[in-house]
Amino acid sequence: MSITTGRKTKRISFNEIGTFLTNTIDDGELLAIGGLFKQGRPLALVREVIRQRLKALKIISSPGSGFDVDLLIAAGCVAETFLPAVTLETQMCPSFRRAVEAGTITAHCVDALSVVGGFLAAANGVPFQPVAAWKGSDVIKHNPLIKEITCPFTGEKLFATKAIRPKLALLHAQEADEFGNIRHLSTMTYADQLIARSADTVLVSVDRIVPSEDIISRPRETSIPCIYVDAVVEIPFGAHPTGSFPNYSIDEDHIDAYAACADAARKGAPDGDRDLQAYIKQHVIAPTDQESYLASVGGTIRMDELVAEAQAL
Amino acid sequence: MMTSSTIRNSQDYTPAEMQAVFLSRDLTDGELGAAGASAAIPMAAMLLARLKHAPNLSIAGEMFVNPYPKQLWSSMLDDRALGACEAAETFLELFAHSHRGLDFFFHNGMQIDQYGNINLHHIGGTIDAPIMRGPGAANISYAVTSRRFYICTSVHTKRTFVPKVDFITSPGYLQGPESYHAAGLKYGPKYCVTPLAIMDFAPQTLRMRLKSVHEGVSVDDVIRQTGFDLQIPEHVDITEPPTADELRLLRDVVDPKGLLLS
Repeated sequence: MSITTGRKTKRISFNEIGTFLTNTIDDGELLAIGGLFKQGRPLALVREVIRQRLKALKIISSPGSGFDVDLLIAAGCVAETFLPAVTLETQMCPSFRRAVEAGTITAHCVDALSVVGGFLAAANGVPFQPVAAWKGSDVIKHNPLIKEITCPFTGEKLFATKAIRPKLALLHAQEADEFGNIRHLSTMTYADQLIARSADTVLVSVDRIVPSEDIISRPRETSIPCIYVDAVVEIPFGAHPTGSFPNYSIDEDHIDAYAACADAARKGAPDGDRDLQAYIKQHVIAPTDQESYLASVGGTIRMDELVAEAQAL
Repeated sequence: MMTSSTIRNSQDYTPAEMQAVFLSRDLTDGELGAAGASAAIPMAAMLLARLKHAPNLSIAGEMFVNPYPKQLWSSMLDDRALGACEAAETFLELFAHSHRGLDFFFHNGMQIDQYGNINLHHIGGTIDAPIMRGPGAANISYAVTSRRFYICTSVHTKRTFVPKVDFITSPGYLQGPESYHAAGLKYGPKYCVTPLAIMDFAPQTLRMRLKSVHEGVSVDDVIRQTGFDLQIPEHVDITEPPTADELRLLRDVVDPKGLLLS
C-alpha cells in the first residue's frame, strides 16, 4: 500500500474539459489566463472555452496578452477585458483592436500594478493592495480597479487596487502529478503562481503527468502546490502556438498566419470575415481532440521543429 | 532590408545600431536598469554596455535578473531571451521595483510629444470610444520608480512626434514645469533616441530639443519629420558614430543574427 492509496486524483481527461468549464464558469464571469504574451498560454483550454460557446466573458491575465485573447474575441466569447498590454509584439492584435474601435467590447484601462496588485490582494485574502507608484498617467484617471486612499499611518495620499478574484483560472505548465502539484520547467512563470492563489477554481494543462514520487523528490521545484489546483489535464503541446519552454518553442509562423487573416478581416477585405471564421472552424471547432488539432497545424513535422528550436536555445 | 534612412547613411551601420550604441554609452557601471517588451534596441544597449565599460551593470526587468541571451529577439520577455539568467522571479517583482527603484528604463510610443509624454493607448476619439486603439502598456510605474528614462523609437515621423499626445500612457514632463511639479513627479526622460537624431529636454522649459543628428541626416530632415516646434540650439553635433570595436561587439556577441541590421 502506497502513501497515496485512496487519494483522489485531480487528473481529468481531454474529453472532460468541456464539462469542467461549464460547471465552473458561466457566461459573463471573470476568466483568468496564465502565461505571458507568447509563452505558457493554455491554448488547448482556451479553444475548449470557444467550443463550449461561453459568451460575454470578462478576461484578465498576467500583464501581457496576445494571441489567445485575440482568438477569444474573434470567436465572440468576450465582453470586457482587464488587460494592461494586448499585442503580438511585432504587430498589434487585430481582433482586439477591431472590437474596441467598433465598441463591441470594453477594454478597461488598467496597468500591470493594478492587475498584479489585485491578484496579490486576493491571494492574501485582503480587499485591496496599496500602491504608491502612480503619478501623471491618464491610466490612473480611467482605471476602474483603483481608488485614491490616505495612508492611516502617515496621511500620505496613495492608491488602493481592488482584489481580483477570477471565477476560473486556466494555466499551462510543463509537468504535474495527478494530485495537481504543478512544476514549471520554464525559466519564466510570470503571474501563474499568483493567479492560482487568487482564483475560485484553477484548471492547469501540462505537457506531461509525472509520478508523484518525482514531485516529492524535488519539492523546491513545485511551482504551484496541489492545494491551489482543482484539476489537471495532460495535453501534449497544449500551449501551441505559444511556447512551453524548454519543451517546445513559439510557433511564430502560425501566429503570423492567424494575424494576417484577422487583420484582413479587420480591414474589411473581401472574404476577410469568412476566412477568419474558416480559421476558427479549422483549428478550433473541428478538432475536438488534441491529435486532430496538431494535425491541423502541421502535425509531427512541425512539432518536431518547435521541439528542436527549444532544445537549441 | 535597408530602410530609406539607412540608405542616406554613408557609413556601414544601421540607425538601429546607432541607437543601441548611443544608449549603451550613456549607461554607467554599477547601475540597475530594465527594458520592457519588444525592446531589442534597449536590450542591445544594456548588453553592449556590460561588455564594453559596465561589467557591474545589472539588468533586472520585472521578473528576471541579469539575463545572458545568445541573440536578440523581437520580444525579450520569454525564455528564448531569458532562459539563461541569474535569477528567475515572478511579477511580484513589480512591487520590489516600486520599493528600491531603478536607475533607468526605456519607453516607446505610438505618439511622443514635445514634453516627452508617451501614448500607447489610443489615437483619436476617447479611451472609451477610440478611432484607433493601441496595445496599451503593462507597467506605467517607471515614471515614478526609475530615476531616468530613455524614449527609444524606430519611427521618427510627424504622425509619431506630435505636439500633444491624445492620451498619456506614461508621463514625461506633462505640460511643462508647472504641471510636472504639481503632479509630484521627480524623474523624467533624459534622451529621445530615434533613427534620425538624439533629442534632450531644455532644463527651463522641459521641451524637447535637438541634441545631435546621425551621420547623413540634416537638421532640416529632423524638423521636417517632427510634428511640433522642436527646439534647435545654435550648434547641433553629429552623433558620434559607432567605433569599430562597438560594432564588432554588437555584431559578434550581442546581435549575431543581425536583428538590428534588418
